[in-house]
Amino acid sequence: MGDEYSDRVGELHARRKKNLAMGGEEKIAKQHERGKLTVRERIDLLFDKDTFVELGLLAKDRDGSDNAPADGVVTGHGEVDGRQAWVIAYDFTVMAGSMGAVGEQFKAARVRELALRYRKPIVWLLDSAGARIQEAAGSTFAGTGWLFADQVVMSGVIPQVAAMLGPCAAGTAYIPGLADFVPMVKGTSSMALGGARLVKAATGEDVTDHDMGGSQVHCYESGVGDNEVETDADCIATVRRFLSYLPSSNTEAPPFVDTGDAADRPVEGLDKIVPVNPRSAYDVRKVVKAVFDRDSWFEIKRTWAKNIVVGFARAGGHAVGIVANQPLQKGGVLDSDAADKAARFIRMCDAFNVPLVYLMDVPGFMVGSQVEKEGIIRHGAKMLYATSEATVPKVTVIMRKAYGAGYYVMNGKGYQPDVIVAWPFAEISVMGPEGAVNIIFNKQVEASDNPEATRAQLVETIRAQINPYLAAGWAMIDDVIDPAETRRVIIKGIAQARDKRIDRPWRKHGNIPV
Amino acid sequence: MTEVKAELVGSVWKVKTAPGAQVAEEDELLILESMKMEIPVTAPCAGTVKEVRVKEGEVVKEGQVLVVLE
Repeated sequence: MGDEYSDRVGELHARRKKNLAMGGEEKIAKQHERGKLTVRERIDLLFDKDTFVELGLLAKDRDGSDNAPADGVVTGHGEVDGRQAWVIAYDFTVMAGSMGAVGEQFKAARVRELALRYRKPIVWLLDSAGARIQEAAGSTFAGTGWLFADQVVMSGVIPQVAAMLGPCAAGTAYIPGLADFVPMVKGTSSMALGGARLVKAATGEDVTDHDMGGSQVHCYESGVGDNEVETDADCIATVRRFLSYLPSSNTEAPPFVDTGDAADRPVEGLDKIVPVNPRSAYDVRKVVKAVFDRDSWFEIKRTWAKNIVVGFARAGGHAVGIVANQPLQKGGVLDSDAADKAARFIRMCDAFNVPLVYLMDVPGFMVGSQVEKEGIIRHGAKMLYATSEATVPKVTVIMRKAYGAGYYVMNGKGYQPDVIVAWPFAEISVMGPEGAVNIIFNKQVEASDNPEATRAQLVETIRAQINPYLAAGWAMIDDVIDPAETRRVIIKGIAQARDKRIDRPWRKHGNIPV
Repeated sequence: MTEVKAELVGSVWKVKTAPGAQVAEEDELLILESMKMEIPVTAPCAGTVKEVRVKEGEVVKEGQVLVVLE
C-alpha cells in the first residue's frame, strides 16, 4: 500500500519536474545564447518573490506527446508590488513557443477568463513563432481567433500588457495591437502580421523578421511598440513600473505612493528651462521633471511622434497622466502621429481613472498640402474626441503658446478642465499676428503706400491683443500663475476634482473618428 | 554619407554651418522657421559637412535634403 502511494505521488513529482525543465538543457542554452531569458526566469522577475501560482503545468500538446512540456506556454498568477496580476508566457524552448490547441484553448483562455472575472491586470510575455501550423493549417481555423474578442471585452476594464521578448508573428501580433502597453526588447523582439517566410511566399519580398518588425521599426516609425528596452530584465522591470501607475481595474483608483515630495514646494529652475521668447525651443521633459514628484516620470512612446510627450508621473503621490507639447521637436506642432499618440494615451488614462495634466505650448496643428493628404483632420479629431470624452480630473497649464485647434485639443476652456491657468508669457489666440494680418487686413496692406510698414503696425496692434490677462479679465481662464506655483496648482486642482461626476446622455457608444 | 532632411515644411531661417566644418552629434546645423517656431536641425552623428544644399530664406519641403554629412 505504502509503496503504491509513494509511487503515485512520485509520478506526479516526476511529471512536474519534466515540465518545469521546459524544452531541455540544450534549448535553454540556445535561448541564453540569443541573449534571452527563459520563460521561468522571466516570470521570477515579473512577480514578487514566491508569489507565482501556476495553472496548467501538467499540460501536454493535443496528441499527449512528451514533446511539448506545458504545451509551450506558462500560465498563472502572482503579485506585482503586492497586487495580483495574471500571466500568459510563451516558452520559446518548447516548439519555438508556438501556440498549440491545449495552450490556447484551455490555458491562455482560462487566464483571460479569470483575470477578467477577478478584475486583475493581464500580462503576455511574447516569444513565439505563432500558431503551431501543424495543428492549425486547414479549415479548423474556423474555430479560432476569439482571444482578440476577449481582449476587446477586457479593454478599458483591466490593464493589458504585451511584453515583446522575442518574435510575435502573424495574427498573434494583434495581441500587442490591442494591448495598453507594449515594451520591446531591442534586437531580439519583433512583430509582424506575416513572418518573413510567409511574406516571401505571399509577395516575394525578401526581408528578415527583425528588419520588418523589430523595435527600430515599431518604436520609431509605426508607433505600434511603446518603449524600446535593452534586455529581458529591463523589459520586465518596465512592465512592473507601468502597472504601478494603474489600478487593478477600472472600478478602482490608482495606487497612492508616498514619494516624500512636498505638495506645496515651489518649482525651481523653470526660468532656466523655458525661454520667454515663444519662438525658441526647449525640452519640455525638463519642465515635467521639475514640476512632478522626484523620480516619478515614466515616459511612454518616447521615440515616436516626439513632438508630443506623454507618460505617467506622480503629483503629491497620486498617479497622473501627462500630455505635453514638445517645442524641441518640430517646434511642438501637432501632426497626425502626435494626435494619434496623445488620443490613445488620454483614453487609457480616462479608462483607468488616472487624472490628466496638460502642459500646453503649441503653435497649432500642422497645416499644408502634405498633412491634408495624410488626413490630419481625421487624426486631429481623435485627440479632440479623446480630450472631450475624458471625465477624469483634468488640469490645464498654458505655459506659452496656445494657438488654434491646438488650444482645444490640449484641453482648452471648452473641454471642461477642472482648473485652467496660464503662465504670464501665455499667448492664446486663434492664430499668430502675422497670419491674422494676412487674412484680416490683406486689402488694407495692399492698398497702403508703404505695405511693409502698414503690415508691421497691424501686426503690433494684434500682438497687443494676445496676452493672458485678456483671457483672465474675461475669467475664461481661472488664473495667471507664477510658474513656480505650477506644482501646487496642479495638485490642488486634482484634489478639487476628486469627487467629479459628469453625466452625459445615454448612448451605446460614441463614434470616435478612428 | 548621411543626408540631413527637413522634418516639416518651412523656410530656412539661419544656416549655422558651412562645407568643410567638423560637427559633433547634436550640433546645430541650421534653423528652420515654421509654424511660428524656430526649429533647430541638428547633426544626427559626428562628421564633416560635405554640402549645404539650401540657403537662408529658401522654402523647403518635408523630406528635402538640407545638409550632407560625411
